[in-house]
Amino acid sequence: MEGQTRSPFRSLAVAAAATTVLGAGYATDAAAQDKFKLGMAVGGNPCCEWMKAQGDVARAIAEQRGWDYIELSNNDDAATALKNAGIFIQEGADAVIQFNGQPSANPALAQRFAPANIPVVTYDIAQPGFYFVGIDNLAAGLAGGEALGNIIKEKWNCEPDLVISAEGAAAGIVNEWRTGGMRDGLKKVCPDIPAEKWVSFESQGQATVGLPAARDLLAAHPDAKKMAVVGLNDGGVLAAINAAEQLGRADEIIGWGQDGAFITGDNVNPHLAGSVFYFLEGYAVYAIRDVIDAIAAGNPPPMKDTAGDPASRVEPCPVSAEEAAKVPDMPERVKLLLEAPPGTTAYELFCPNK
Amino acid sequence: MTDTLATGRQDAPPPIAHHPVREVFTGPVGSIGITLVIVIAAGLIVIGPRFLSASNITIAGQFVAIPILIGAFAAFALLAGVVDLSIGSMAGVSAAIIGALLVNGWEIWPAMAITLAACLVFGCINALAIVGFNADPIAATLGMLTGLRGATYVIVEAFGQSGSLFAFHEGLFAFTNMMAWSLPLIFLIALCVTAVAALIVGKTRLGRHVRAVGGDPLAAARAGISVARVRTGALLLSAFGAGIGGILYVGQLGAVSRLLGFGLEFQVYAALMIGGYSILRGGVGAPVGGALGFLVIAGAANILDLSGISPYYVNVIVGALLLAAVLLDRLRGGDAYE
Repeated sequence: MEGQTRSPFRSLAVAAAATTVLGAGYATDAAAQDKFKLGMAVGGNPCCEWMKAQGDVARAIAEQRGWDYIELSNNDDAATALKNAGIFIQEGADAVIQFNGQPSANPALAQRFAPANIPVVTYDIAQPGFYFVGIDNLAAGLAGGEALGNIIKEKWNCEPDLVISAEGAAAGIVNEWRTGGMRDGLKKVCPDIPAEKWVSFESQGQATVGLPAARDLLAAHPDAKKMAVVGLNDGGVLAAINAAEQLGRADEIIGWGQDGAFITGDNVNPHLAGSVFYFLEGYAVYAIRDVIDAIAAGNPPPMKDTAGDPASRVEPCPVSAEEAAKVPDMPERVKLLLEAPPGTTAYELFCPNK
Repeated sequence: MTDTLATGRQDAPPPIAHHPVREVFTGPVGSIGITLVIVIAAGLIVIGPRFLSASNITIAGQFVAIPILIGAFAAFALLAGVVDLSIGSMAGVSAAIIGALLVNGWEIWPAMAITLAACLVFGCINALAIVGFNADPIAATLGMLTGLRGATYVIVEAFGQSGSLFAFHEGLFAFTNMMAWSLPLIFLIALCVTAVAALIVGKTRLGRHVRAVGGDPLAAARAGISVARVRTGALLLSAFGAGIGGILYVGQLGAVSRLLGFGLEFQVYAALMIGGYSILRGGVGAPVGGALGFLVIAGAANILDLSGISPYYVNVIVGALLLAAVLLDRLRGGDAYE
């Protein structure tokens, strides 16, 4: 124990000496740069492959244009997003694109970027002073809800036993727009579903994380057979469907998701009747085509920082499971998107209901 | 726990004689100090001189200051042999409470006092369960973690909008962004708190009592040390530190999200373990080592950030460092070394 109390200061002395030697030439900021430098802060939530793909597409387009590119991960953490803003400023980024899943930090981010005069594009979550590029979440929610409503009307005459909402409260207003929008869309088609039939659980937008809560909800409604599921995204909706399968009650459960993350590929759940593609991986095409290119050319576009009047609007693409089966999976979409003529969007390439 | 430790000690390698030079390299703080030097050297080689530029140190310092501060307080609980898993959600609920008070027009000082008092109450509940009712610290503080996480959601929902509680306070924001001698003030404060903790742990009777209680509570009790009092105090300190951390996060971010502090306990304990602490063996570790653990992780992450390597590798590096710390601990004899 005694040695333990002596060693910290000795070690620090050793470390300080070594650091002084190595750190000779204490530098200032990054060297001056010639090329345009694009910063990209990806969301960093391990839930979703598209978050990484957003960075991959932005990197590829930046390289096509001969720009320097720096990518950081926000780790789905507000403090990390703030740290990343500091790094972008230090590294001399000329413009930054960010997907920040923790929008509470956006005002603090804006306070960092504004004095540095770095224009910022934000995906899907609006912030005054940041160019808004993204989906109309409410419109996407309404479209998905109406599509599911039409199925319920046809199959169950608008008389389901339960309408389950897979919430993702941490997404804040986005959850309200998407999940709430789906409820409203469904009500447009089936306005007379009694209030007690509408139930919710917290899915956190992830199939595995939301599973226990979904199982509890189904256990609390043992007599429900005809069940419809809406939610923040495909992952949340799948949490309810998987729970029903585990409990042997999946015969009459129908879900309609959002974001299209789990509606393509070989293993699509047969109870996921459809989803709304945003083609999230391809947002950089919109951001760079409609905002960043102009900034790089020295003509920044007028600020449009609201979802109602965006700098670039991403079109929602509602699809049934049958239609989605014809859409390539995400890695293939990324490949095809990058091979397409510059400025071509994933919606133009892949949406079957244009 | 003592019985388990005693059994474990029978299988441990024989004690290694202390040697001043070897201690610099293999001691719990010495090894992490050397690791930090290696990280700095790697940063200078890979990134160049700008790795040690004032702006880069400021960025890393501002990011790591609050975890260092929380870790300095939480380490007292580790030293006393009681791990407090609730520190992350305690920071979150602290942020939510002060945020709610600020948006309701409270002045900053009374709001801070009430927030810290609330955290101390939560710390008291932890202590009551662990010390009063002899509950397992992991189980008890896991319960507190879950409860406070829920409370954070409730408070943010009640006083915020769409999952966020915007509570910008000009004075707090200015304080958390203040610079002193070209470094972030809160980073310097965190280092000062670490230095004070190191002095308390290494040079005072109180520190010896804390380590004695963590190392062998029965022997400490036989020596006349109040195990209950020491552990209660350590848990209160842990809660207090997390409360301070939550307040500072509100200053930095100007807002509270429902997820603030989520997973922070793992971030803090990973750094402390890399720095020589153990979450299962009390009495092991030193505050300076803990702080160096944070700096090593921050430095490694910064190298990845600036060199364009995928940030997803940070966790790989943290995991490798943790394994290296555990192996080093075993190589030098584990408990026998202590």
